Amino acid sequence: MKYFVLISLFVFTIILKAFECQANHSNNWAVLVDTSRFWFNYRHVANVLSIYRSVKRLGIPDSQIILMVADDMACNPRNPSPATVFNNADQQLNVYGDDVEVDFRGYEVTVENFVRLLTGRLPPDTPRSKQLLTDEGSNILIYLTGHGGDGFLKFQDSEEVTSQELADALEQMWQKRRYHEIFFMIDTCQASSMYEKFYSPNILAMASSLVGEDSLSHHVDPAIGVYIIDRYTFYALKFLENVKLKSRISMKSFLGVCPKQDCISTVGVRTDLFHRDPAKVPITDFFGSVRPVELTFDFLDISHMPML
Amino acid sequence: MKCLCCLLLAVAVSTVHARSESYSEELFVKPLATGFVYSFFQFTVVREGGSFSHSDLVPHSLGDIIDRFRVAELHIDLTSGLWRHKSWGYPAVDAPSGAEISARFHNDTQDVNKNWYGLTNALSGLLCTSLNFINSANSYESSADRFYRYSNLPRENVCTENLTPWKKLLPCDSTRGLSSLLNSGRVHNANYHSLGIHFRPLCNNTSKSSKYELRQTVSLVYDSVFISANNKNYDWSLRKMFGTGLFRTCPLADYSKIYIDTSANNSVPYVLSQNPDYFLKENIAVYNLNGIFHLSAVMPRPKVVVSDLKPILYTDRFITGFGQEYGGLVTRIYNEHRLPVIVTVIENIPWFLPIYYHTLRVTSNGVCVMPKALIYKPGKGRMQIYYLEIVLELPSHSITEISVQFDYVFLKWQEYPPDANHGFYIGSAIVKASIPRNSTSLTFDKSLIIDNLNSSDSSDSDYLIILKTENFIITLPTPDFSMPYNVICLACTVVALAFGPIHNITTKRLKLTTAKYVPGLASVVQKSYLWLENMVCYKNANKVGKATSVRVFTPEELSYHPTLGHVSEEFMKNQVACKES
Repeated sequence: MKYFVLISLFVFTIILKAFECQANHSNNWAVLVDTSRFWFNYRHVANVLSIYRSVKRLGIPDSQIILMVADDMACNPRNPSPATVFNNADQQLNVYGDDVEVDFRGYEVTVENFVRLLTGRLPPDTPRSKQLLTDEGSNILIYLTGHGGDGFLKFQDSEEVTSQELADALEQMWQKRRYHEIFFMIDTCQASSMYEKFYSPNILAMASSLVGEDSLSHHVDPAIGVYIIDRYTFYALKFLENVKLKSRISMKSFLGVCPKQDCISTVGVRTDLFHRDPAKVPITDFFGSVRPVELTFDFLDISHMPML
Repeated sequence: MKCLCCLLLAVAVSTVHARSESYSEELFVKPLATGFVYSFFQFTVVREGGSFSHSDLVPHSLGDIIDRFRVAELHIDLTSGLWRHKSWGYPAVDAPSGAEISARFHNDTQDVNKNWYGLTNALSGLLCTSLNFINSANSYESSADRFYRYSNLPRENVCTENLTPWKKLLPCDSTRGLSSLLNSGRVHNANYHSLGIHFRPLCNNTSKSSKYELRQTVSLVYDSVFISANNKNYDWSLRKMFGTGLFRTCPLADYSKIYIDTSANNSVPYVLSQNPDYFLKENIAVYNLNGIFHLSAVMPRPKVVVSDLKPILYTDRFITGFGQEYGGLVTRIYNEHRLPVIVTVIENIPWFLPIYYHTLRVTSNGVCVMPKALIYKPGKGRMQIYYLEIVLELPSHSITEISVQFDYVFLKWQEYPPDANHGFYIGSAIVKASIPRNSTSLTFDKSLIIDNLNSSDSSDSDYLIILKTENFIITLPTPDFSMPYNVICLACTVVALAFGPIHNITTKRLKLTTAKYVPGLASVVQKSYLWLENMVCYKNANKVGKATSVRVFTPEELSYHPTLGHVSEEFMKNQVACKES
């Protein structure tokens, strides 16, 4: 009897291990934040809209994407072609698109709003589109871009969030069971300093540069007159454009998205908090919304539904 | 329980029998002076019946908000650009640049402010605007109506992110019908564009059930020179303005019509590519839409376009003064009418621009005028705006000027926005007046444009128009936000510079000791030269003897010299001897 219990326990743990490698999240969310204001930071808006475009294309609905954009680049009077934001000087890909919903914009993009959004400590009147209504089955993609330094990220040139504050906010999310797994991406100078303080489980983090390095922009569009995208996000978008909803590309290949000869800065990765092997995690676990659908061939009688 | 049953029954009855909705799409195009073309889209849903718990055409997302916050009337306008009354006449809906929202709540609403902030928050989520910034410090209630609230956010920008959710409220979205003409790239490239949502109850004498109207409007002004291919003529077409033709009509719409105001055709003739289905009142060309439709207008050369519609009432607003301490605010109202006009001017000035009531002056053609009525509610820092409502009678052919002085104030450090040096936007004033119908643009007594154009009671009765003045921008005294850093650096330097000497003076005592000789480079060279000289010349007969013993004095043996301090008695004696000799 004793042996039987032991063996069954052993088998059980093996089965558990096997399940761990599969996705068992129930929904996908994305929090995409551009923290930079002013026209010369056009590239940061292009960065965040690139990721927005990708996650939307891969099936995360607008209601589950929280997009924070600190300034209006698309309809800025300086923009020669209004209602567009391009990621490339050849202007083939309008990352702003015709169907965009910005949830926090302009002065609303503050550290307070960002931390409140993550931790869910919001005023009672907050509309649904400005809430992160995640649960313990949610996989969240968090993407931040802006100007940063060693251990902080500036918000609109007037305040900053530190790496410790961010780590504490994520821990609070974990304690409140607001996520299942998080993929944290950040494109800023000395970006890897932002994830160094993380201590909550199930976080996979990736940064555009290591401490002591700058993240560089990709190229200038002479028609617009400013740098239009950053290197890391440019190559990330290039990678994501080839991802289809059913493609089996793993997170591991995404983690190597921008080698040093392309990025010039070194892309930092932190996997110690993440309990799955990135090589076995499909990229759509974070960038897409793949819902398991169960087909039924039984007839359901809906004629006796209760009337409202 | 009985009550609940009754309620359920009432709801069931209301949902079953009194639900009739009708939808229509209209586009009114009017060539304006100096080559501009004004197009006004109106998508109207008229609905009979009470709550919005079930609806076919009224968008649920908006209906729920209207129900939840007990809204009786709602007007939202999101505008970019300035409507130029002097050269363009009156728009169908006058909206100032930025976001503007006003609402009237049902008479049985308990806490109007709570519902107002709830409404603005909900709408901010629905329309992707920053309407959640509306609070008691930038909204006011009407002096006449306790259930009415108004606010404007002049800084709000309007872009695709507002147009997208706006389009999603339409029954046919943007796939079919006139709304397929609204492409974000073209809409936001216009000289003036304004999105509107207007919800109001309709007077209904025939039946007891309530009737509501939801109008979604878009005003666009294009410069036809700018949109024409070669930038040389004033030709315009639907394709040039909107980038696409019209291919399919919305099947849910009862009416799909385009109207062209051809009244400018008398002064500057132009040729329309299609003959209209019929003319309304001789100068409105009406096209019924079914299927593919395209329309263009060709203007023969030479192109001299003159405005034939000069508005009889228009406004102007600016600030006076210089420096960053005191300023003045002037609102001018021009009356070009041959009769006096009674207007109501409402100024809402934010709390950070405190005005002096005693400096309020109203002059008309240089002569002081007594207002017929005046309501002033002083503002309160961070809590309440300065509200000024003046009823005036403008003499015929006059320029009336309302001026008031104000202070520029310092804000608290945290209250400055991140781009404080850009300046602070001050919203528009509102001017209400009743003017003869024939000098207005479109009127809105009835729901549809065509019914209003058709209405027989024109030209003799007056119509209430609401004008919005320009916004303006002021620069409040903005501190240099890096100043604390500078102060810290400077203070630290000063402290460091002071600390060294003070520390030295207080902790060290000057004392004469026998100097310990530290050889410098010159003396080393000199000595080595001497030594070499001695070596070479063999003159060192008197070799350096043994070191003379240094005598160490005890304190008792020392005596005090006024300049040298403690010295030995022997030295003192020699000094005295020297002096004496």
